[in-house]
Amino acid sequence: MGSPRPKNDVLQGTLSLLVLKTLASNKRRHGYAITSHIQRVSEDLLRVEEGSLYPALHRMEQMGLLRSEWGVTEKNREARFYSLTATGRRQLALEEESWNRLTEGVGRVLRYA
Amino acid sequence: MSWLKRLVNTVRSGRVEREIRRELEFHVAERADELRDSGLSAEEAERRARMKLGNPLLQAERTRDMDVALWADGIARNLRHAARSLGRTPGFALTVVATLALGIGANTAVFGALDAVLLRPLPFPDADRLVRLSQVQQTRSESMIAPVRLEEWNRLNSTFSAISGYGVEDVSETSGDLPERVRRAFVTPRLLEVWGVAPALGRGFSEEEHRFGGPAAALVSDRYWRRRLASTPDVLSRSVRIGNASVPIVGVMPPSFRFPDRDVDVWFPSPVDAPNAQSRHNTWYTGVGRLRPGVTLEQARADLSAVQARLAQQFPDPDRKIGVDLRPLKQDLVGGVGRTLWLLFGAVSLLLLIACTNIAALFVARGAARRPEIALRLSLGASRAAVAGLVLAETLLLALVGGALGLLVAGFATAAFRALGTELPRMDEVVVDGRILLYCSLSTLGVALVSGLAPAVRAMREDAGLASGESGRTQVSGGQRLQWVLVGGQVALSVTLLTGAGLLVRSFHALARVEPGFEKSGVLTFRMSGSWSETGEYPALVARVDRTIDTLRALPGVEGAATTGWALPGTPTQWESSFAVMEAGGDADRRIVTDLRVVSPEYFATMRIPLLQGERCERRSVDSRGAPSGQGFDLTVNRAFAVRHLSDFPSAVGLHLQAFGETALKPGRIVGVVGDAREQGIDRVPVPVVYVCLSAPGPTPFFLVRTSGDPLAVVGAVRARMKELEPQRSVYDIAVLDERIDGAYALRRLLTLLLVAFSLSALSLASVGLYGTLSYAVGLRRREVGLRMALGALRADIVRQFLGQGLRVVGLACAGGVGLALALRRVVAGLLYGVSATDAATLLGVVAMVAVVAALASLVPALRAARLDPMRVLRES
Repeated sequence: MGSPRPKNDVLQGTLSLLVLKTLASNKRRHGYAITSHIQRVSEDLLRVEEGSLYPALHRMEQMGLLRSEWGVTEKNREARFYSLTATGRRQLALEEESWNRLTEGVGRVLRYA
Repeated sequence: MSWLKRLVNTVRSGRVEREIRRELEFHVAERADELRDSGLSAEEAERRARMKLGNPLLQAERTRDMDVALWADGIARNLRHAARSLGRTPGFALTVVATLALGIGANTAVFGALDAVLLRPLPFPDADRLVRLSQVQQTRSESMIAPVRLEEWNRLNSTFSAISGYGVEDVSETSGDLPERVRRAFVTPRLLEVWGVAPALGRGFSEEEHRFGGPAAALVSDRYWRRRLASTPDVLSRSVRIGNASVPIVGVMPPSFRFPDRDVDVWFPSPVDAPNAQSRHNTWYTGVGRLRPGVTLEQARADLSAVQARLAQQFPDPDRKIGVDLRPLKQDLVGGVGRTLWLLFGAVSLLLLIACTNIAALFVARGAARRPEIALRLSLGASRAAVAGLVLAETLLLALVGGALGLLVAGFATAAFRALGTELPRMDEVVVDGRILLYCSLSTLGVALVSGLAPAVRAMREDAGLASGESGRTQVSGGQRLQWVLVGGQVALSVTLLTGAGLLVRSFHALARVEPGFEKSGVLTFRMSGSWSETGEYPALVARVDRTIDTLRALPGVEGAATTGWALPGTPTQWESSFAVMEAGGDADRRIVTDLRVVSPEYFATMRIPLLQGERCERRSVDSRGAPSGQGFDLTVNRAFAVRHLSDFPSAVGLHLQAFGETALKPGRIVGVVGDAREQGIDRVPVPVVYVCLSAPGPTPFFLVRTSGDPLAVVGAVRARMKELEPQRSVYDIAVLDERIDGAYALRRLLTLLLVAFSLSALSLASVGLYGTLSYAVGLRRREVGLRMALGALRADIVRQFLGQGLRVVGLACAGGVGLALALRRVVAGLLYGVSATDAATLLGVVAMVAVVAALASLVPALRAARLDPMRVLRES
């Protein structure tokens, strides 16, 4: 609440779409890897607020979109790895479609105005 | 199943939290690595990484909230809070828990008995299809069934899968070192088929074994096998020895097999084709049948009545006069206990309700003391539901502890029931099992809700504005009204319970004052084993019993001895017979149906029943069938009989009575008239009785021994003398007569004791509630009292004010309680003797007692109010 947020923070609600997409490539990743993946692929346009990442991951796991397991990183640290479930994959398709419709709609309005 | 996972996580919250911390630590470590790689010092990298993640505690908590079921978590948190809050007032918590443990325990125990005796089916497969069959005769209210008739019913009906029957007798088993009395049952074919139970070892009876002259065979109970045969594995090569006959054991019944007569240990096949089983007048068997699936009792009754109607055409004498009676076996076994158990359950539930009300009132008072705290919570944004949840959590916690302890109480109480209720049907089936556990849990939750509802609702209505500065001191609240309603409810319910208990106590007093017409104390009763086969040679049987009477009379300390055939004095007999007076022409229309008792000539002197007219009856010799040879039996009638039936004749003595249907019997001559005695039971007025003078109508009459001192003191001498006289027989069923007669009222006494205990507990709970509420009212109005006293009010005025407040509520409550008692009067009416259910003296006594106790409970806080020091009170504020 305190300091003003940076403008490129991830929009509320799109975080789950980004997480799903990040995990869609059949790879399991830990929370830190998910953050850095989003940042890298978006070429630093998007930045995940770390405070909301873990609650979101745990909520998505409880909803059955993700599953998690403990594993070891290449640096030999213990970490919790997340991967998509079948439900998560279906959810990704839905969210992607609704995102596309939203951006297309917003784009049309912007172009018209 | 996400909610389930969350619930699991709620319970294992420690582990969940540890994992989250590890996960976040990992994140910080990775971030710090990256920052270090970009050139920061290790400490700076660590610091920035942590800062980026934000408040770690908040972060962990927010993540954790996603993993757990919030509602369950809320309950757990409320319970923890409740435990802390209650821990600060351990006395209060302990009182409530103890009250609940007793309340829930007693309630669960009584429910357990109710469930085992009334609600559960009998322990047989498809037990609701089992039916008790009797034949009904005009001459006798109902009776056993003749062997031939039972077989015909079984053959001709279309609604039963099988009909069977049994008869029991007590015999002496002599295979061991000492003869031992065992009860054996003669069973007709198909008995195991009707029960639906197979022997645990060996087999049932074969067809040959059920035929007359066929091989002998016996089934024994699991109990007999364990006790008498020490669970020997070769039981199937052992035998049972009765009299001079050794009968091989062919099977052992399972321990779960509960024969209706629980004392039966040995079963013998009864040959239905035996010559002596062919008379349609013999009635030997208690009938049981198993209905076909889907057949109702009404259909079966119609079917069997039609069968009997056909038999009546075929054999007009005696079947024309015989009807059929069917009852569910369970109803037949449980009998009148049901009403008592329901009454007890009602009483114990009222008590629990009073306890709940009491606790509710305590919590309302406690809630009022916590008003500032609750108001603070509300003003800090707690929802009203959350505040109510806080209060409910406290009652729930107390109820849970109370319920757990209550289960313990129920366990003890159940053991006590089993020990005390040996005379009652199915008491050995009373156990604490899953059903009882479920009931206990449900009632615990119910208790938490009922006692928490009122305080929770009050807490919800609390005003947040109160939080600021002004403590509750100026509030004389509506909470008081609610508390008074709750206290009034307790007093009213106590009055109702006390009325019930008072009526039962008065019944007992009335019963103790009754003059029974015979002297019941100082008499020893017992039986000696015998076999029905002895009735084949009646003169020997009668001579044996007469010889035994004479031997008993000669013992030192014995004033008299006699026998009674079927029923002890002061206990009901099933035997009603019909007679005609020969001097009135033996007219069938003037048939007299009356209570028949068969006693030896010494009976009247032994029982101290006065002879009013005529003379003592005499022993007569009998022929081999038990009919008197020469003249008929001597008869004695009581005064009620003479007055009711023989008032047309100048004297009863010398008249002759002919028993109906028993044409083989010669008419008996009335030789004497005796005083009326309460033969049917101490609580019943004497009925007309005909006494037949015969010492042994069957092989095992009751012996009555009148002693000069304590009856139990002669038991040793009796046993020793009997062993000399009849070494093959065992003496059993030894008891003192008045204990036996009182035993008939054991259930009622137990009920009375329990009701008295319950109602006194209720009264003490109610007075504690009254005391607490009034004390609280005094506390609330300290300032007002101080002010008034400072302005010159007298101490007596203050006492009067608070006493009046308490007593007004008690007065209203008494009226309500009496009203409720009157509305429920039919519940106890059937259990009362010599007192009406609306007995004014009992009601007045109860109200007076409650008024005195309530006045005392109110006086203490009222006096305390009057002792307040006005200056101190005023300075306090």
